[in-house]
Amino acid sequence: MFAAQFPDIPLERQRRWFKESFDHLSAIAQSEYASEAGVLLSSGWQIFKEVPANKKPFWTDFVIGFRFMTDHELKRFPDHRFGQAFTTIKCECSSYLPWLEKRFRKAGGQVEQRKVHSLQELSTSYDIIVNCSGLGSKTLVGDPEVYSVRGQVLKVEAPWLKHFIRDGDGKTCIYPGVHSVTIGGTRQEGDWRTHVDEGDTKSILERCKRLEPSLRKAKVLSEWVGLRPSRRNPRVEREVVVLQGRRVPVVHNYGPEGGEGGGCAAGPQGARGPQLRPWGVGSDAGLGYGPGCTGAGQAVSS
Amino acid sequence: MYIWHGAFQSPPTGHVTAGAENRRPDGTVHLAGQSADMRVAVIGAGVIGLSTAQCIYEQFHSTVSPLTIEVYADNFTPLTTSDGAAGLWQPYLYDKGNVQETKWNKETFDYLLSILKSPESVKMGIFLQSGYNICTKPLPDPSFKDIVLGFRCLTDRELQMFPGYSYGWFNTAIMLEGKTYLPWLMDWLHEKGVKFHHRKIESFKELADGGADVIINCTGMRSGELQPDPELKPGRGQIVKVDAPWLKHWMIAHDYKSDGSPYNKPYIIPGSHLVTVGGTFQVGNWSEKNSSIDHKNIWNNACKLEPSLKHARIVEDWTGLRPARSKVRLERETIQSGSTTIEVIHNYGHGGFGLTIHRGCAKEAARLFGQIVEQKGKGPRARL
Repeated sequence: MFAAQFPDIPLERQRRWFKESFDHLSAIAQSEYASEAGVLLSSGWQIFKEVPANKKPFWTDFVIGFRFMTDHELKRFPDHRFGQAFTTIKCECSSYLPWLEKRFRKAGGQVEQRKVHSLQELSTSYDIIVNCSGLGSKTLVGDPEVYSVRGQVLKVEAPWLKHFIRDGDGKTCIYPGVHSVTIGGTRQEGDWRTHVDEGDTKSILERCKRLEPSLRKAKVLSEWVGLRPSRRNPRVEREVVVLQGRRVPVVHNYGPEGGEGGGCAAGPQGARGPQLRPWGVGSDAGLGYGPGCTGAGQAVSS
Repeated sequence: MYIWHGAFQSPPTGHVTAGAENRRPDGTVHLAGQSADMRVAVIGAGVIGLSTAQCIYEQFHSTVSPLTIEVYADNFTPLTTSDGAAGLWQPYLYDKGNVQETKWNKETFDYLLSILKSPESVKMGIFLQSGYNICTKPLPDPSFKDIVLGFRCLTDRELQMFPGYSYGWFNTAIMLEGKTYLPWLMDWLHEKGVKFHHRKIESFKELADGGADVIINCTGMRSGELQPDPELKPGRGQIVKVDAPWLKHWMIAHDYKSDGSPYNKPYIIPGSHLVTVGGTFQVGNWSEKNSSIDHKNIWNNACKLEPSLKHARIVEDWTGLRPARSKVRLERETIQSGSTTIEVIHNYGHGGFGLTIHRGCAKEAARLFGQIVEQKGKGPRARL
């Protein structure tokens, strides 16, 4: 989880969203559900070739044990002059989403897999619509501010790697997971291609091997492309839409950049107001309506 | 895991080979006129024996010629004590004044750290891992605080993760997995011409009679069988190996008693494939059998420390005897045997920190070997 600052949302609110998300996931990581949910503590380093203007970003209080790297630690990264060391959370959605869905269904929630082309399709069946359609919001609700930032990653077999390493430029990262290590990446704005790019694969391997030489011994397991649903600011707000003569409240919750999506997972619940009870770990409340988001997302595996 | 594909030496056949040479009692040959040669016999093929053989070769193969190094052991990887150890580089919290040991620990850490830049590190079983040392009360800083990377005290939030513990430290250390490192060392030595003998040595005299100029005693727990040592006692350790790949930090609990016995509180150390869960440190217990009672205690204590272990698949238990001693015995001894003298270098008694200290000790043993070389006039000066 890495948090970028959104320009037009009050800092206090952003801090609250990220903090709540971190604490929520941290509790899962320390519970017996950690392995099934795919949520784990991960320590490591974010390193910078040039000393950044802001050495202590706003999220340093939320992660655990934040400090600057010592000279001894930086020696391993001769191209980099400054670094931050801390412990954060890795949330593997390939496990987390099925775990959430299992709990949702157990609490009485229903899941329907279908593409929703417009909110009109839902207007007569539901009292509230929560729109979490990511990139799909571009067409679903006609939001021109949504755009794709393409990201390619590789999954490699390197079980000896126990720390994350991230270059502060946001483009090169090594994230050890439960069964494989994800290495990346790319940030291609406005790029909607979902197929694997060989040039990107080569570039990722070269950059990551430079940071972590032992990767030369790692077997590549797979390549994957995702499109981050980007927006200048995440759209977290209520609106009332008139659908077939009915006034239907719609809560929008999309647009934090894919890479930071995890940071807002639990946060914006408060913004929905009293009609909805927050749903999460430990709560027995279900959200009794079909999500407007499944099927409209654009992330695909290659 | 790295498998060693070399071969052991067959026992001597007593053949006389052609040429102008002298035959030693054990059937091996001594080339006439080669008075600068040195025959080194290393007893023990754990991390101490193999790394000592390596250091002696590294430092003397170009100045002492021919230099013959042979390793004798009844257990080779993966059956040595070094193979069962979790592989975390970490000394005991305090060295009790044995500053030499802290120096050797540091040499080892720095050596392993320097290898990390190279992709060889994977074949050697070396990688970094961070983790937590947690205590039930505040303790003085440990001996290794300036050796490891990023050493710091635990924050309050971190301590909340460990109910029952109120103090501790976080740092990045190095892992050195015996099951990978030992085969790598054997290959390295084999490539340099070092020979391996799969047999139990009953006495130093046996090897001296066989022609060894210097004997390096790296027999760990069973050193007492070659020469009684009341200070050497087993520190029995049982561990449970489990499959829990979501764990990325080691955690070691301490309940520091005045006798300093560590590792009898829970510890969880993830490796490259499995997680080692411990532990026990039963002084005087020679049993190498796994105990169900110990298994139960280890498991229950570890699950309290790390609830997610509940869902880990248990793979196997293992028991090893740490060669515990008040301090490492690393010294020369010249033994009189009738009219001859036997030069022995002892390098044993590394307790639960053999992997942690091995390189520093190996270099010191090589230094002592150098003294013997000088004394026997077999150094470079002998060539002039």
